[in-house]
Amino acid sequence: MSGVLRSVKNVTKGYSSVQVKVRNATSNNAWGPTGTEMADIARITYNSSTDFYEVMDMLDKRLNDKGKNWRHVLKSLKVLDYCLHEGSELVVTWARKNIYIIKTLREFIYLDEESRDVGASIRSSAKELTSLIMDEERLRAERQNRGSWKSRVTGLEDM
Amino acid sequence: NATRNVDLTKSETELTTNIRKATSIEESAPKRKHVRQCIVYTWDHKSSASFWNGIKVQPIQADEIQTFKALITVHKVLQEGHPIALKEAQANVSWLESLMRGTSGGVMGSDGARGYGPLIQEYIFYLVSKLQFHRNHPEFNGTFEYEEYISLKSINDPNEGYETISDLMNLQDQIDSFQKLIFSHFRSGTNNECRISALVPLVQESYGIYKFITSMLRAMHTTLGDDEALSPLRGRYDAQHYRLVRFYYECSNLRYLTSLITVPKLPQDPPNLLSEDENAPALPA
Repeated sequence: MSGVLRSVKNVTKGYSSVQVKVRNATSNNAWGPTGTEMADIARITYNSSTDFYEVMDMLDKRLNDKGKNWRHVLKSLKVLDYCLHEGSELVVTWARKNIYIIKTLREFIYLDEESRDVGASIRSSAKELTSLIMDEERLRAERQNRGSWKSRVTGLEDM
Repeated sequence: NATRNVDLTKSETELTTNIRKATSIEESAPKRKHVRQCIVYTWDHKSSASFWNGIKVQPIQADEIQTFKALITVHKVLQEGHPIALKEAQANVSWLESLMRGTSGGVMGSDGARGYGPLIQEYIFYLVSKLQFHRNHPEFNGTFEYEEYISLKSINDPNEGYETISDLMNLQDQIDSFQKLIFSHFRSGTNNECRISALVPLVQESYGIYKFITSMLRAMHTTLGDDEALSPLRGRYDAQHYRLVRFYYECSNLRYLTSLITVPKLPQDPPNLLSEDENAPALPA
């Protein structure tokens, strides 16, 4: 259902193809983002500055989404993590400058209909990402050595 | 320049809503999403003026829960907000103090129907001391996160370092008495979420202070090599260490709290601060 609605919205709201890519990768579907989606988005961050900002603005919007859309938040953290490693240097600058967006997600809470605390994965992702962004040396090293972080940001299954 | 794309006019209206919801009448934690929006607002606008204006016009004084939640919200904004929030808070100390009226310390002379009176009073004492500390030591951020330059600074001026450490220890003592008061006000048969949510910033702040004191004291021992002069601070440090171990142990049994933040694990005994000790444990992470 949400998939159909999203593709209608993509058209009616006039989203660009870049925005659509980010929206699809960070949707409410129980699966994803896939490695292909993330690699695609990371590659786009090297394009024009318009493309770069379309990616970041959409991620920003998703990161600040309400609790009901906790999957938007979690998946955006994953995509951001991926882009910090494989994307352009501008992503690193953006993340440093706006770190409070990620830092303040470390206490994210949302209880779903069955009172299940679905915020836990967001809290731990946000903690992990915050310490990575603040540790310039580690990020530098991880951007050079791709293998070591991949396990963390491969596709999310069974959410 | 990689800045966020924020609609500044829209966020002003949203801020008012967020403050109202964060300080609602329900006996629960201030909702994180609303507190978060207040924090994010101060970064986006590099100003906390609207936050203060907004919280001052809320009718929080009429209700003890609302007052307590407002204090938690203020504390969180001071900790996590833009550094300007700490500076701008100085002009609002008397407003904070005015919230004491209506609690047991004030004209009504009661604990409040749900017993928040003493907690409100102690919270205000703490926040006022915290703000005074930040006024005297503007180089510290709201959560006392470890920065190397601070300990370097204290080495260059040992007298100032001594004073800073003892000011930090005074704050640590206040946190300790406040947390004890909160624990003693737990009510059986309730989830105590509202009270526990005040412990969250206290755990974070006490640990930040602890890390600072540990590294500053160790740095001073290295430079001064004067064990005698520093011995009063060492005695106090050890005593505070044991109290913190106990505080964190009690927090580790509160599921609401441990689900939210990682409660620090300290070694049972205080680390050795003397540099001669080759086996001195590493600084707390």
